[in-house]
Amino acid sequence: MLGAVLLASPLLLGDYAQQILAQAFFFAIAAVTVDLLWGYTGILTFGQSAFFGIGVYTVALALAYYVEGTLATVGAIALALGAAAAVGAAVGWLSFWDGASPIYVAIVTLALPVVFAQIILSGGAYTGSSSGLPIPAPALSLTGWYWISGGLLLSVALGAWVLVSSDAGRLLVAIRENEERCRYLGVRTSRVKIRLMAVCGAVAALAGAGYVLFSSVAAHSYGDFVFGTELVVWTALGGRGTLIGPVLGTVGVNYVSALLGGNLPFVWLLFVGFAFVLVVVYVPQGLVPALGTALSRATRAVGAALTPARLPAPAAGVHVVASPLGGRVRTDGASGREDATPVLELRRVGKRYGSLEVLDGVDLRASRGEVVGIVGPNGAGKTTLLRCIADGREPSSGEILINGRRTNRLPPQQCVALGVSRKFQTPNVFEALSVVDCLRVARSYRLATSPWRRSQTLELPEPAVHAVHVSGLQSVFDTPAGHLSHGAKQALELAMVLALEPTVLLLDEPTAGLTRDERAAVGSVLTALAQSHRLCILLIEHDLDFVREISTRLVVLHQGKILADGPLAEVADSELIRTIYVGGAAQ
Amino acid sequence: MSAPGRRAVAIAGLRGGYGESPVLHGVSLDVHDGEIFAILGKNGMGKTTLLKTVMGVLPARTGRVECLGEDVTGWPAYRITRLGVSYVPQEKSIFQDLSVEENLRLALRDRSRFAERLDVVAEWFPILKSRHRQRAGTLSGGEQKMLLIGRALLTRPRLVLVDEISEGLQPAMVTRLQDILAQERRAHGVTVVLVEQNVGFALALADRYAVLKMGTVVESGRAGAVGVRERVEQHLVL
Repeated sequence: MLGAVLLASPLLLGDYAQQILAQAFFFAIAAVTVDLLWGYTGILTFGQSAFFGIGVYTVALALAYYVEGTLATVGAIALALGAAAAVGAAVGWLSFWDGASPIYVAIVTLALPVVFAQIILSGGAYTGSSSGLPIPAPALSLTGWYWISGGLLLSVALGAWVLVSSDAGRLLVAIRENEERCRYLGVRTSRVKIRLMAVCGAVAALAGAGYVLFSSVAAHSYGDFVFGTELVVWTALGGRGTLIGPVLGTVGVNYVSALLGGNLPFVWLLFVGFAFVLVVVYVPQGLVPALGTALSRATRAVGAALTPARLPAPAAGVHVVASPLGGRVRTDGASGREDATPVLELRRVGKRYGSLEVLDGVDLRASRGEVVGIVGPNGAGKTTLLRCIADGREPSSGEILINGRRTNRLPPQQCVALGVSRKFQTPNVFEALSVVDCLRVARSYRLATSPWRRSQTLELPEPAVHAVHVSGLQSVFDTPAGHLSHGAKQALELAMVLALEPTVLLLDEPTAGLTRDERAAVGSVLTALAQSHRLCILLIEHDLDFVREISTRLVVLHQGKILADGPLAEVADSELIRTIYVGGAAQ
Repeated sequence: MSAPGRRAVAIAGLRGGYGESPVLHGVSLDVHDGEIFAILGKNGMGKTTLLKTVMGVLPARTGRVECLGEDVTGWPAYRITRLGVSYVPQEKSIFQDLSVEENLRLALRDRSRFAERLDVVAEWFPILKSRHRQRAGTLSGGEQKMLLIGRALLTRPRLVLVDEISEGLQPAMVTRLQDILAQERRAHGVTVVLVEQNVGFALALADRYAVLKMGTVVESGRAGAVGVRERVEQHLVL
């Protein structure tokens, strides 16, 4: 029925309406790219208008001065896409290079349309400056343009929908939710964002190219900062993070403003401004999601009346598959011998924050199959030690080798590639994603991430499967991780880091906030990991009984120095532990 | 100090949770003035949600919450705080980019008493004074916890709600914390509501306890009674 209405729409709509809608459709394509960047990935950008403008002016300049004909026009559009993608990649690199602060992207994307508009304005007669550049328009009826723009919007929206429902789309949301965790899961977040920026730039340029052919005049206002901001406003009004929201927001605002703007030019702008403020204050998620919630509440009320005994849906038919790769039990360690070569080696590692020396010349070696408990008073430098191992940029001095390779200056995502994975002190998961999706994101380090397919199964290595079962996570697979209890989040994060199949596992108080039984369960998982999978585990714990139960070796850290390092039995009962840790005063 | 026997917290038929998913299914409990009360239970049973709902951080769907004699149901958190209620959340909610001292100063609205109060807190946690200029975000996890507790007690509240206070603290510090809370109660009659995973710590400190299971109170009583530990532990298994 919707199709029939769409097909009949040109007949029902007048010429004027078709004109407005065709224009709005092109704008909506740009709004969809804003939504992908902002709504899904969390990159607030005011710069998509510049890419739209690149599309507008590449095609306009080509047709105005250099070429003519259909084939040449297609060539010009292709050139526009290429140029926009290149600029997008450059902007992405400037905004997201390793060491860029989160504010860079806002500044760069704000500057981009300003610079672009200035270039056009200072181009004189060549670019048409402020009076615009007319181009020979292709002979197409208004209805023809209506179909082209509508078709283009539909394909872009569908493409975007496929992307956001795919495994890669889930990764984008994960980056928005918790980029740090993504990096520590081995995801090269900068690369993902730069690629997305390039693709979104190209798509916005496509919309611009289409738009200039339709309107037959290029104007600087289509590449300036005001238009860039309008795209953000329309996206926010409609509802970011939904694809339909920005499309309806853009089309709605443009259509109504064309109808009302003629009679009430200033009042109308005031009205849009007020609407924007009201939406931001009262329905921050946007109008479409708000309506959707209201609708689903209404239908649920009706549905509940019709089917009083609705069973809870099973966990979305997710099958947990033990991955063949990780499922193997390493036979080389079956004899139980300690593998001779250390997988982790710290040489004179130091770390200072300003004048505060947190770590001072730490030497440590650990091998496969070892569970090294690290204890020490609060502030001894335990967490800093783990952070230095998991992020090669952290240590102020000394060097760290993992599997014989130096982590010197490597960011966390590359340390993951060397075989390290780190569980944080406070549970660090993707709050908006469901449990199963958190695990899939973690798994994306080992499995290729498809930009169009969404996996139906969850493939995890055996240790992660074990952790999931022991903690009962499979019963809450569809629950958003943010709704889990503290302990369940701890278990989830443990399963996530195990999904990376690390050789060196860094655990910062993995059992904090767990009950005694849950502790015992986690302990059994860890012992099994060390014994049958030959992992090297570094474990920070305050619960000495727990440490005693699962560690093979104990390291005592105090004021940034290692005070004792030896087999569990020797260190655990030493006087040292009693004085500085258990009974003694802190600091 | 108010008259003994009055209720510092009275919760009746409280339901609530996050968004669409209910966590509390009708919790009722009373905490007397000047009492230390422990809320125990397995993970995911609603302990943290209960504290957040009492504090006005999460909305109550139905039911009634009274704090220090006022019906605070539906009040925003800042208004409840002004009654003299402090909340130590489980998440380390300190201001990472402010210094230790700035974090402490923010808690106290009456600036003139800061120095005097700081001395009291620094006696418990010396690092809060010796490192008063350090950026709070660079404190270790356990030290941040000390800052949180110090900040809550600095205001000399009449009621403190603490979530997993012992977590991430070295054993010696847990013992000291036990002394601090007991002493504050003795000296100033502060009422303490603890959510704890560490049953031994909680029962040693508390006068009374309640066990939450699936969002309701399944057991409560005097913490010192015979066999309490075993009964509570039983609830934590399965």
